[in-house]
Amino acid sequence: MKTVCYLAHCLLNANAKVDEGARCAGVCSPVLALLRDRDCTIRQMPCPELAFGGTHRFWAVREQYDTPVYRAHCRRLAEPVAAQIRADLATGARVILVGIDGSPSMGVQLTAADADWGGRPDKPRDEDYPVTLGAGLFTEALLDLLSGVLLDVRVVGIGQDLFDYDERAELAKLRATLDDEVRRAG
Amino acid sequence: MRGDARSGRVVVVPDVVVNPPEGARDWLGDLAMSGWGVLALPPAYLPAEVTHPLVAAAVDQVIALLDGGYEVALLPAGNDPGMRRFVAALAASGRTVADLA
Repeated sequence: MKTVCYLAHCLLNANAKVDEGARCAGVCSPVLALLRDRDCTIRQMPCPELAFGGTHRFWAVREQYDTPVYRAHCRRLAEPVAAQIRADLATGARVILVGIDGSPSMGVQLTAADADWGGRPDKPRDEDYPVTLGAGLFTEALLDLLSGVLLDVRVVGIGQDLFDYDERAELAKLRATLDDEVRRAG
Repeated sequence: MRGDARSGRVVVVPDVVVNPPEGARDWLGDLAMSGWGVLALPPAYLPAEVTHPLVAAAVDQVIALLDGGYEVALLPAGNDPGMRRFVAALAASGRTVADLA
């Protein structure tokens, strides 16, 4: 059975990250190596923030993006992705969605939210970034479009937008998800 | 924030680069080693109602990258329909990008 991984755009293109937020030059090679090792099919999702906010955008929070226009933008981008996921599921493939924990758009279990955050953030320390439980806006739109098949889709976040990002731990989490999904499918 | 490692270089590739057939050259590995970011187009076998909006999204993202001063290139892809559609849509927006040297 094939495993299809839908990756947050920036895992293959760190140039899409917010200003000062790229942890690598381009492709996140350790993630790529892991997915290749597990023989996964790779799909790259669009970055909802890149075309909306450009390349010089600051590290924002959900409240700054949470507008009807941005939600509509996320939904428009998520619709063909959801259709692709449904098509993959219909072939019997396992589907794993790999988001970016800490991101206001691509977060899975962790996002960033703060009613007072705005302008160019004047808090230089990474640990001040207001990470909170919950999904990002694009992830929410995509999961909403997948209602009815959600139980067949595993979702995992790579914590690249967290101040205490630990690549080894995040890779172990992804590896465990991939292996668990293979076991579950028998 | 923590500083920034981005290369400022992005290459648009067909799906076959991200998911190469058995025994094919690992272009993605090579691009990763060279520091390129990758924007992957959708697979050719998907229906138009899925591929067209994904290609349109790719065009929007490339325009944002070009406007941000990034270097964007195409990995030559022969007759890949997704790449043909992407090039045409980008041209319709008044933009072009060169093939990867």
